[in-house]
Amino acid sequence: MKKTWLRDYIIRRLLYAIIIAWGILTVTFVLVRIGPTSPADKYLANLAARGQDAAQVIAAVEARYGLDQPIYAQYLNYIGNLVQGDWGWSFSTSMPVIELIQTHWIYSFQLILLSSIFAGIIGILIGIYSAVRQYSRTDYIATFFSFIGISIPNFWLGVMLILLFAVQFGLFKTYYDTSLPLFSLANLKQLILPVITLGTGMLAGYTRYTRSAMLDNLRKEFVRTARAKGLPERTVIGKHVFRNAILPLITIIMFDLGSIVFGGAYLTEIVFGIPGLGRISFNAIFADDYAVVVAITLIAAFLILMINLITDITYTYLDPRIRYD
Amino acid sequence: MTKRFGIRNLALILPALLIGLTLLLDIFVIETIVEPLVYLYIALGGIFIIYVISPLYASRRLVNYYWQRVKRNRLAVAGLGFILFLILLAIIGPFLTADPTAVSFEEKNIPPVGFTLKESIYELETGQFITRTATGDWQHPLGTDNKGRDLLAMIISGAGVSLQVGLLATGIALALGTLIGVISAYFGGKTDNILMRFTDIMMTFPFFLLLVLIVFIFGANLAIIVLVIGLTGWTGTARLIRSETLSLRTREFIMAAKALGASDGRVVLTHLVPNVISLIIVIATLSIPGVIVAEAALSFIGLGDPAVTSWGMVLRAGQQTLDTAWWVAVAPGVMLFLTVLAFNFVGDGLRDAFDPRSSL
Amino acid sequence: MTKLKILAFFLVAMSLLACSCQLAKEASGVFISGTSSGDAETLNWILAADSASFGYAGHTVDSLVAYDNEWDIQLRCAARDVEVSEDGLVYTVTIRNDLRWSDGSPVTAEDYVYTLENLMFSDWLNYPYKSDWQEEVDGETVFITAEVVDETTFSLTRRTVDTEFVYNVRTLAPYPKYIAVKYEGDVKAFTEAPEFNNLTYTGNLGPYKFLEWVRNDKFVLERNPEYYLAKDVGAPYFEQYTIKIFGTAATLHAALEAGDITYTGIDPEKMGKFREMDWLNVYTVPTRSYLLLAYNQRDNGWVGLKQREVRQALSMAIDKELIVEQVLYGFGEPAFSFIPKPSPWYMDEGLAKYGVGSLLDKEAAQERLLELGYAVKRDDGNIEVRDEEGRPLKLTLVTNAGNEVNEDVCHLIKEELAAIGIEVELKFVPWATELRKYMMNKIPGTDQEPRYNNGVGAVSEEPWDMLVILFNTHPLSPSGSDVFYSTKGGLNFWGFFNSQVDGLFRQAKSKEALDEEVRREVYAGLSVLMSEEQPVNFLAFQLANVGFQSNVRGLEPGINMGYNYHLWYFE
Repeated sequence: MKKTWLRDYIIRRLLYAIIIAWGILTVTFVLVRIGPTSPADKYLANLAARGQDAAQVIAAVEARYGLDQPIYAQYLNYIGNLVQGDWGWSFSTSMPVIELIQTHWIYSFQLILLSSIFAGIIGILIGIYSAVRQYSRTDYIATFFSFIGISIPNFWLGVMLILLFAVQFGLFKTYYDTSLPLFSLANLKQLILPVITLGTGMLAGYTRYTRSAMLDNLRKEFVRTARAKGLPERTVIGKHVFRNAILPLITIIMFDLGSIVFGGAYLTEIVFGIPGLGRISFNAIFADDYAVVVAITLIAAFLILMINLITDITYTYLDPRIRYD
Repeated sequence: MTKRFGIRNLALILPALLIGLTLLLDIFVIETIVEPLVYLYIALGGIFIIYVISPLYASRRLVNYYWQRVKRNRLAVAGLGFILFLILLAIIGPFLTADPTAVSFEEKNIPPVGFTLKESIYELETGQFITRTATGDWQHPLGTDNKGRDLLAMIISGAGVSLQVGLLATGIALALGTLIGVISAYFGGKTDNILMRFTDIMMTFPFFLLLVLIVFIFGANLAIIVLVIGLTGWTGTARLIRSETLSLRTREFIMAAKALGASDGRVVLTHLVPNVISLIIVIATLSIPGVIVAEAALSFIGLGDPAVTSWGMVLRAGQQTLDTAWWVAVAPGVMLFLTVLAFNFVGDGLRDAFDPRSSL
Repeated sequence: MTKLKILAFFLVAMSLLACSCQLAKEASGVFISGTSSGDAETLNWILAADSASFGYAGHTVDSLVAYDNEWDIQLRCAARDVEVSEDGLVYTVTIRNDLRWSDGSPVTAEDYVYTLENLMFSDWLNYPYKSDWQEEVDGETVFITAEVVDETTFSLTRRTVDTEFVYNVRTLAPYPKYIAVKYEGDVKAFTEAPEFNNLTYTGNLGPYKFLEWVRNDKFVLERNPEYYLAKDVGAPYFEQYTIKIFGTAATLHAALEAGDITYTGIDPEKMGKFREMDWLNVYTVPTRSYLLLAYNQRDNGWVGLKQREVRQALSMAIDKELIVEQVLYGFGEPAFSFIPKPSPWYMDEGLAKYGVGSLLDKEAAQERLLELGYAVKRDDGNIEVRDEEGRPLKLTLVTNAGNEVNEDVCHLIKEELAAIGIEVELKFVPWATELRKYMMNKIPGTDQEPRYNNGVGAVSEEPWDMLVILFNTHPLSPSGSDVFYSTKGGLNFWGFFNSQVDGLFRQAKSKEALDEEVRREVYAGLSVLMSEEQPVNFLAFQLANVGFQSNVRGLEPGINMGYNYHLWYFE
């Protein structure tokens, strides 16, 4: 019984996700293409230096990439190609968009993954400890530092870390070196500063969420019962309280991933010069390279949708009382 | 039904009149240049008076009660103190300090008070490098940047920008979010469905990417930045307000108002909205820091309004001179951090005071 | 002595010999060149319009000729210099016979002619710089003609004389005909062609071969052992040559300081710091760029700017040495015309040196404005500058936001003009806005396509009075600057129209100027005239600072210091 409704539910959600993704695609496409700037703008300075007629060159460049057609034609053309799996040609980097994304997603992914692991493990542990020892000195210190962690703007933190550890102490390279193999200690080492930059805010958030979720459950009846039964405290906390607290925690962590982390990763990549999707899309925006901008927006949006869906499904498994209609 | 001319109606008419007047001035008296932000100020000020000041005034005793509770949270009081200080700084500061845009090439890279900097500079006449020692003095308490602009003046100007953006964009986002949340919950059914689906779409947009894109396309202008953040940042509010309103919808006073023949609009605006005010205040305090950071981040990546000096821009400039003039990047960052921290403290304190068990 | 011992002796002797051979340079290490000015767009360089793209591809394919620091010709692909016929119309190019494409086939004159005739001149490709190869004949714009003479010789024929066309010819680089024919006529296929986007065809044409390009991160080249120019000496001496892109100038500088990169340009303000690092070698070299202050002489600028004397007065009030000292940190030279000092055509004689020495005089500037009726003398003897209606003069000064040097120059000019009582309003606008709203112009009320110079009567969308901008000039062929300063010049956006200047530019390109002495005189006259006319206020030529790790050898600091970079090596 359960299986069928779940399958229907997933199909419905997927269809819904596709519609939302199409809406986002359209909005982004129109936004990029109606702007007053042209992909040829960046040539203008150079053209000036070489004494060319700028208007003529702009027209030539636009014609080459089909940008001289009416916007609806460009849009239909783009959609048509997309349906056939062709993500288009990125004219600001001269490669197929799909290839561009295939080369660069890993840089964003490793940053987000490592930051999530770093923030998740430490944050949840501190949160649990803090909740169990509520109103202790450690709890106060943890709470205070979590406030600081949440409030520190991550791009500034990144700049400061570079100033201290790379410029002053020379402990790290000042830039991200893509020639190091992905699975190597050297690569891990050079990701330390970016992960701290992106992870600190997440860490502080997770600490707070865990603490309050744990506190909510610590006050509940079943905890008292479990303790009365003489179960060891470790079992009470680990098995009973934490398991109940994890549900709201997952929601929040997933929500964070969707909104805050993508924005934060974007800035972290720019500060540390990591050639991930954030930096790629940033440059694409300035180059009016709509195929790249639309594709990356679309991927980010689709990931958020998928994360939401997975969160909801996880819910039903963790808490059988929940059903979606 | 007789019409009562209450404070609410007055507050509704007043801003409308003001906006009209400003518009007339703007159109017919050519000499006055009215910034687009002024309209926003007036409109939001009006809404603020109707929905925040007037209900708070009406229930002074309750406010006092909450204040006693907030007061117990020392961090929140400290945060509030800092915010008030910042507001004062932003209002009075510009009269006391130099022009933040005034360049003075003779006073480049002066360190803050108490610091000394040795610099090797090229002297044109002799064609030699000479060592210059610069010591911070009270002329420029926070030092100067590589154009000799006074950092303190820039920080103060930035405080104004951050607060303006924070308050205005949050104001727009809250007004929109509240309206959508309340309407969605009150009418339910199809309206609810459509509005919530729309909220979903907005929530799915990679927020910062959208922000960068729109600001790049429509130009880096403070009014545009405020509008974009405001118009995209309402989704969380809408959801929270919706769930809060859902629990209010069936309460007696709403039923009573409906039974007395009040129109839907009237019920929403005069009965539902005022009753979610405490929640709105908490959301407002907690979302201002996000907005401030978003604006700073935009300026940091080069999409700030070039006409004003904001913290993000100073930080961006400071990042370029990290190795020669570290203080330029440190000062705006510290201010940004403290401001965000203060709002978080206050928001936390307010939330605890209103509802100690909530985990917003 | 046994045979064995003799053998051993021989072996030792031979190995010693081998060692001493190897003491001559051996390729080693990775040369990393850092930049913070953004990535290239394409390696398919014939489509590119940005300089980074030409720079990237240029490592793999040589052009016909390069110049050393004294502007002497260093032959690259060309076997001899480009020969110009007596009448200045026919250019004969003979290329070397040892040039090869990657498939081993020879690079022939046919490839060059094909590149010109079928690619650059074609309609379907839209080569951005096609006007380099066009001339005006009887009011019509036509392409020059290119013809194959034999396997290694081709000729280019013009119908009008242009003395400085030869510099264009020398920059020519070929596309492989045998690959390009596959894509001919199909711009999409040509744009996406894997051979061109991965530079797989470059054979022995350049010191390096393409290895990897991670967008917005790095461009990696590997040593080309076959390089026609240097394989005899075992050059190039770096195993790899990498261009590394940095997000900010700050991290770029830190990377040089930390030794993470081999070479980069250094901001003038940081020179004091970097020259003290003994693990670096720092050089100051001339550049081709100059800062200028444009005076809007069109109808939407202040009317006074149309008068030469007013422009001179303003230029008299602006201290050029102050700009060099304060904004360029000493790394620049005051400019008085568009011909830079390192140019062979530079002449100092007779230049009106506004902004330095005796022609830097704020009081005289006020006096002059008073004489012209743009000022009033108060009772206390002070002169107050006024506009044509008697109000205090207020001028708008525009530049592109985010360019620190330009912004700083604007701040300084504001201070300088404030000293003679002119209020300056600064407008820092995005680059695209500056181009479209301030520089491009059209005659109001017509449906003209906005251009940088739509002739008399055309005005920009937004009014402006002054504008700070950085221009490049070609020290060898200054006549190219006619696009800025002649009446019909496509980039004369400030609206300076002077028939005498037009005449001199025409003369510099004309047949009699084929005689270098004549051309020198023309340029001398032009320089003097421009320094007096002040179509713009030439502010300063920039000097560049470059820093290398001290183990790099073989450097020859100068304006074209990269000309022998294939011979650089690590100690």
